[in-house]
Amino acid sequence: MPLLIDQKVVADDHWVRVDDTEQLAQLGNNPAILAWELFSQQRDELLAADGELAVAIPNDLDVVELEPLLERLSVIAVDFPSFADGRAFSQARLLRRAGFKGQIRASGDVTRDRLRFMHRCGIDAMEIAEDRFSPEMLGAFGEISVNNQGAEDDPRPIYRQ
Amino acid sequence: MYQYSEQDQRLIEERVEQYRDQTQRYLAGQIPEEEFRILRLQNGLYFQRHAPMLRVAINYGLMSSRQMRMLAKISRDYDKNYVHFTTRQNVQFNWPEMEKVPDILAELATVQMHAIQTSGSCIRSVTSDQFAGVVAGEIEDPRPWSEIIRQWAALHPEFAYLPRKFKIAVTGCEQDRAATQVHDIGVRLTKNDAGEVGFEVLVGGGLGRTPMIGKVIREFLPQQDLLSYLEAILRVYNLLGRRDNKYKARIKILVDSMGAEAFGAKVEAEWEQIRDTELKLTQAEIDRVKADFALPAYAADAASGSSYDEKLNSDQDFAVWIERNTFDHKVPGYRAVTLTLKGLLKAPGDVTDVQLDAIADLADQYNFGEVRSTHEQNLVFANINQADLYPLWQALVELDLARPVVGTINDMIVCPGLDFCSLANAETLSVSRQIQQKFDDLDYLYDLGEIKLKLSGCINACAHHHVGHIGILGVDKNGESYYQITLGGSSASDASLGKVLGKSIPRDDVASTLEKILSVFVEIREEGERFIDTVRRVGNKPFKERVYAAVN
Repeated sequence: MPLLIDQKVVADDHWVRVDDTEQLAQLGNNPAILAWELFSQQRDELLAADGELAVAIPNDLDVVELEPLLERLSVIAVDFPSFADGRAFSQARLLRRAGFKGQIRASGDVTRDRLRFMHRCGIDAMEIAEDRFSPEMLGAFGEISVNNQGAEDDPRPIYRQ
Repeated sequence: MYQYSEQDQRLIEERVEQYRDQTQRYLAGQIPEEEFRILRLQNGLYFQRHAPMLRVAINYGLMSSRQMRMLAKISRDYDKNYVHFTTRQNVQFNWPEMEKVPDILAELATVQMHAIQTSGSCIRSVTSDQFAGVVAGEIEDPRPWSEIIRQWAALHPEFAYLPRKFKIAVTGCEQDRAATQVHDIGVRLTKNDAGEVGFEVLVGGGLGRTPMIGKVIREFLPQQDLLSYLEAILRVYNLLGRRDNKYKARIKILVDSMGAEAFGAKVEAEWEQIRDTELKLTQAEIDRVKADFALPAYAADAASGSSYDEKLNSDQDFAVWIERNTFDHKVPGYRAVTLTLKGLLKAPGDVTDVQLDAIADLADQYNFGEVRSTHEQNLVFANINQADLYPLWQALVELDLARPVVGTINDMIVCPGLDFCSLANAETLSVSRQIQQKFDDLDYLYDLGEIKLKLSGCINACAHHHVGHIGILGVDKNGESYYQITLGGSSASDASLGKVLGKSIPRDDVASTLEKILSVFVEIREEGERFIDTVRRVGNKPFKERVYAAVN
């Protein structure tokens, strides 16, 4: 699946998705983004182990629950289950406000016409479905050059720029 | 009025090109139907019963004569020579070609107009009081604040995919002409005990399937905190609003299920996190925007001429029009004038290109080049020197824009209904004609006094029937249009929701049913009592007995 990081196409993604205990058992030392439910079940062991940690959260999770983990997490994947659903925009902003410095990755219904808003809300990585990817989609980030509101890319509203 | 900065202009021009590209990619099969639906709605384009419909924003109802001429030009070049003004002060083109919409938007951008967020599940264009800035007793002009909200809301990256549409109204006046109690957020300018001007904030009002009156969650918000507070409300709603059922997705349902107090506490907690960030408005910005709404240079001697009084005494028709269609102005010698878009047997809110051009000329001649649209689907010239009232009236009579029916049942608010709208269940335009024909005796209308009549063609309530003194809702019964009547609604400062009178009635009986209701009113009203006050005093019962007597 094509991946954008910091507005560039990245050739290989070293993270794999892990949703259940079976996959987790086979994982070995490979870095993985763990489904939130799975992570929560084995939280203590996972936090005690060495190596990078990453989670994929559902978009109805109160991100306050992640705050004790932010220092420990390398990647938080947020979910856009449909083109109409925008909860993860707010989740991403709250995670950045709480001080998360790692990667926030958009997954799900991630297509060209929401990339700029995702970027503005602090999402720096985007997983694009193969059939919706084209190199021209990077143009989406520059379509609108005026930011009326402060956001995660620039906290200044237009009247402070 | 507000003049675009270089950035404002660049934003709307870039938005046109972005939308042009989206349209081209859709036509090339690169964007799925459902995705393009959301993209086009965020830019005001519906696919209607017969053709697309493009809704263009008139932010807080304020336009220049130049913008009005552009609307006329577009209606000629791309549409069928007329436009329709809506209950949210916006304007609609009913017959554009989908492929040409980017060209229309590019033309609009040349006069600082756009269709950004006039539809879709995002923050919609802001509405306000049509008499803003010119009425006596106003706490402050609400338009600069409406403009500040517009800029914040435009292409907000976090709130473009909300659970449902989101409407904000702002008022500066005790007499609420912006219906702030039936909006997702109502912002009301107020003064605290120290005499400082700030805002009272309401949330969770709305009409549609589940009408509700908004609740106050903050009694006084300091001016500079306006945007941080709105952002806190929107963030709580974006995260917690229901998305599983579109009929339960508006903020009113969330506020109602949590309770206004608990919802308010969530908002306050979020606001505490952001109120002292860069979202805080600067005095320089407030002053910059306010400067663009400075009042025009009024003639100091406007009140001194005698021609106006002479005409009032000598021309009865003129005097009636002054009484019905004009409004007190805070400056002596000036009046605000309502141009009624309620021509006899015409669709309420419709205006032809010829009328638009003529209105623009009159605005230049008499009204400092400004035109306003109203929630009640009329237009307003807010600053008319009384010496100009007579020639203006004569010109408006020629244009069929001077029917002296403001505030009567012939000044009804009507959505386009089954003739145009793909959501509608029932016809509205034929019913409004039927009502106008039945009640064509102006003296009778004046005797009835103020009656707000609102007619919607479906439960979505675009004409706000729940808050009509008399509300009419069209419903479908086995393919026939039927109408349910409610009495006792109001969207003014004494807001209330109307109560259903009884079972719905067939289309041909609407006007005669109204006649029965009004005959009861005439019999039982007390001296000087308005219809709404009589209904509040006696309830629906006497009206119900008369209306349903024959069929029982």
